[in-house]
Parts: sequence; structure tokens; C-alpha cells
Amino acid sequence: MRIFAAFALFILWLILSASYNLLHMATGAVVASMIVWLSPAGAPHVRRFSWLAALMYVPWLISRILKSGFHVSRLILDPALPIAPGFVQHKTKLSSDGELVVLGNSITLTPGTITVEVAPGELLVHGLDAASCEELKSGVFDDRVGRLFSVKEDKK
Amino acid sequence: MNTFFFVVLTIITVLMLVYFYRVVRGPSVFDRVLGLNGISTKAIVLLVLIGTMFERVDMFIDISTGYALLNLVGALAIAKFLEERGASPK
Amino acid sequence: MTWLAIFLIVLGLFFLVVGSIGMLRLPDVFSRAHALSLTDSLGAVLVLAGLAVYEGFTMNFLRIFVVLLLVYLLNPVISHATIRAAYRSGLRPTEEEKK
Repeated sequence: MRIFAAFALFILWLILSASYNLLHMATGAVVASMIVWLSPAGAPHVRRFSWLAALMYVPWLISRILKSGFHVSRLILDPALPIAPGFVQHKTKLSSDGELVVLGNSITLTPGTITVEVAPGELLVHGLDAASCEELKSGVFDDRVGRLFSVKEDKK
Repeated sequence: MNTFFFVVLTIITVLMLVYFYRVVRGPSVFDRVLGLNGISTKAIVLLVLIGTMFERVDMFIDISTGYALLNLVGALAIAKFLEERGASPK
Repeated sequence: MTWLAIFLIVLGLFFLVVGSIGMLRLPDVFSRAHALSLTDSLGAVLVLAGLAVYEGFTMNFLRIFVVLLLVYLLNPVISHATIRAAYRSGLRPTEEEKK
């Protein structure tokens, strides 16, 4: 696992530094292994992560962002400005840190909804109008994010 | 193609002025922070665009990566500070 | 390939313009953050994607992609932090706006 992390960091170094003589690549290898060596072992709260579900998740999220992007643009360009901003208390069955991070990030990334406060099992979301919150309320986000981390494991 | 890039560059610069208006006028301090975030996001795009125009993307990419990271640190620091202090100075 | 790039850039520019208009028109901080997330997660990213496509599939494509990924991952964090600070310091949205 840690070798995999060091390898990923090394790849990132190669992409960013884009110069392939021996000196640069050796520096990259040393720095990558130093970072992995110095940082604490393992990601603490992510036990299982399904790469297949992540591959499915990203295009879905992008289509969601485009759809609500056009919706929000229509709201803003409307001369009457038909917005009804308000807070929504969103109960969720997700509670581990990794799931909450992905869920909150996805909600904020989608135009029309922003995560304000995060607590395990509960999110305070600000929505631009009722239609933007509709999707969140139906719980598709929770299902998708829950599938990313496969089954919830109790970490206690 | 270069003309097209130049037009895009001009439009983005004009848009930055809109955000600058928000920074100057913004009723609360958080409006100003949001305006600054918008400006820095556009600056990232602008840097890559300038690099493409001058055909030196490899150089400008590094600058914009650094800009994005510094923007994150700065914005988080400001948000954290304002959260502790509240909207108006005591 | 060039036409795809132009299409992506123009689409992104549309969202950038709309986001700026929203920044001017919307009534309070919380709503303005929505305009900002429109410019960030659609406008800037689409323009960057267009530039990456214009660059072709070289090393620079990957590097623009890394910047794009950074924008995508970090901007929600920034706007969440700002909005949470606004919320915690007692700011509330104006309710009596036009419905």
C-alpha cells in the first residue's frame, strides 16, 4: 500500500516536472519515498474503496453538474430572478470521514447547493431554490457515495 | 486562433473587473472574500491562456499550479480567521 | 480537435459570464456563493479543458489536467470554508427577497 502511494507521488512528480534526465528523476524518487516515509501509515478512515464505482461516479457527477449548471444559469438570467434561497437539513446514513468528505464536496461542486455545516449523519445545505434541493432530498447522492466505499464498516 | 484567444483573454479580464467591484463594494467581509476567490480562479485560467498564446504552456502551468495551491492556503487562512473573529472587528 | 476546443472554451465563457452576472444580481452572500460555484466548477474547468484539448495529447495535456483536477478538488473546500465562516459569525440569508 505504501509502495503504491510512493509510486503515485512519483508519477505526479514526473507529470509536473516534465524533464526526464537522471538528476530530476532521482530527486523525484527520493522526495516521493521521503514523503511516504515521513507521513503516518495508511489512510485512517477509508477501509474499502471501490475503483470501479469511482469510475462510474465521476461521469455521473459531471452530468449532474452540467444539468444543474444550466438550471442555475436560467435562474440568474431570468429578469424576475425567481430564486427562493433557504437552508435544508439533510439527514444521511453516511457517517465515516471519507464518505462525508466526498458527499460534501459533491454537494458543493453542484451549482445550486452548498454544504454549510457537516456533522456525522447530518448536513446543513443551502439551496438556491426548491428544484435544486429536490435531487438531494431524493437521496441519490447518498446511494452513489455509499456505493463508492462499498459497505459501511464500523471502525470502532 | 491567436485572435480568438485574445478575445477570450479580454473577456475574462473584463469579468475580473466585475468581481473587483464586488470586492470593493461588498456589504459584508465574506462578499469580499468570495470576490477574491473568483478573481484567483480566473487568474489561474488566465495564466494557462497566456501560456497557450505564447506557446510556452510548460512554463505557465507551473505558475498556475503554484497559484492554485497558494490560493487554497490563503483562502482557508482568511476563512478560519474570520470564523474565529466574527464578521465585524470588536 | 480545434473545433471541440473552441466549443468547450465558448461554453465555459458562457458560464463565466453568467456567474459574474449572478455575482452582481444575487442578494446575499449565500446566494452569491452559488454564482461562484457556477463559475468555478463549470466555467473555469470547461475553459481549462478546452485549452487542454487544444494542446493535443502531449505532456502538457496531462499537466493542464492536473491543474484542472486541483481546481475541481480545492474550490468546493474554499467556498465551503467561506460560507461556514459566514454562517458561524451570525450572518443569515435575507428571507424577504422576491420569491
